[in-house]
Amino acid sequence: MRALVIDDSRTMRRIIVGVLRSLGFETLEAADGREALDLLESGVSVDLACIDWNMPVMNGLEFVVAVRAHREWRDVTLMMVTTESEHGQIVRALAAGAHEYLIKPFTADAIREKLQLLGLVEWEVSA
Amino acid sequence: MSASIDLAAFAGTDPILTLAREVFSAMIDPDPAALRPWTGDVPALVEATYAWVDLGGETPGRVLLTTERATATRLTRGLLGLADDEPVEDADLVDAFGEIANVLGGNVKSLVPDPGALTLPTVAATSPAGPVPDLLHEVRLDWRGDVLVIALWSLS
Repeated sequence: MRALVIDDSRTMRRIIVGVLRSLGFETLEAADGREALDLLESGVSVDLACIDWNMPVMNGLEFVVAVRAHREWRDVTLMMVTTESEHGQIVRALAAGAHEYLIKPFTADAIREKLQLLGLVEWEVSA
Repeated sequence: MSASIDLAAFAGTDPILTLAREVFSAMIDPDPAALRPWTGDVPALVEATYAWVDLGGETPGRVLLTTERATATRLTRGLLGLADDEPVEDADLVDAFGEIANVLGGNVKSLVPDPGALTLPTVAATSPAGPVPDLLHEVRLDWRGDVLVIALWSLS
C-alpha cells in the first residue's frame, strides 16, 4: 500500500508518515494540494491520501474535488486529517468525495482505526 | 468571541484548558497530569516565543500561544518524538509550535457559531503587530514546570 500525506506542516507530515509506516505503508509527501496533484499527474499511484484542509496554494477540499473529477483516480481513498471540526465542514468534505475524516489532535490508534474502517488495515484478531 | 462559546458543554471546566489537555495528551505528552493550571504569577519569559492563528467571520479573533523558546523546543521534541538531548532545528521549532497553535485554533473555531476561515499559523519572537486587540480569555499553564500561556483575543 502507498499513501500520500498532504500537509503544509512538516511536523504533521512526519507524525502521520511515522504512523503510516508503522502500519506497513510506503509513503510520499506533499506540502499542499497542488504539489499532491502534480505527483498524481506525473503518474504516481497511491492507495490513500491523508489530506489537511488549510494549506496554501491549494487547500484540501479543492484537492478532493480535483481528484474526484478524474476517473483514473477513483480508487484513491481520501481521508481528511484536519483541525476543521465543525459538522458543516465535515459534511462538505464527505460530500465532495472524501471517504473519512480525522480531527486533529489525533492518536496513532485513531489513524489505525480509521484505516481499519476503510479496509486499508486489517483488524487485529484477539487470541 | 468568548461570549459565543458554549461553555455549558464543558461542565464548568475551562474549554481552553480542556482543549489544551486533549492536544497534549494525544500528541505531545501522554501523562494527563503533566499539564495543569499555573499557580502564582507568571515569571518573565526568557526568549519569549509566540505562535498564533486568526479566525475570521462575524466574530474575528486570535488564538495566541506564548512561551519560552526552550519550552517551544521541548514541545517540538514532544510532537516529533525526539529524545531529550536531540537537537531541534529552527525550522522544526517554528513549524511545530505553529502547528500546536493551528490545532488549538482549529478546535477553538469549532466552539464559535458561524466561524470564518482560520489563517495559517505565524510564529515569531515578538508578539503580533498591529492594533492592540481585546483580551477575552487567558489560560496560564504549567507543563512540567514550564509556563505556556494561551490567550483568546477579539479582533472586532
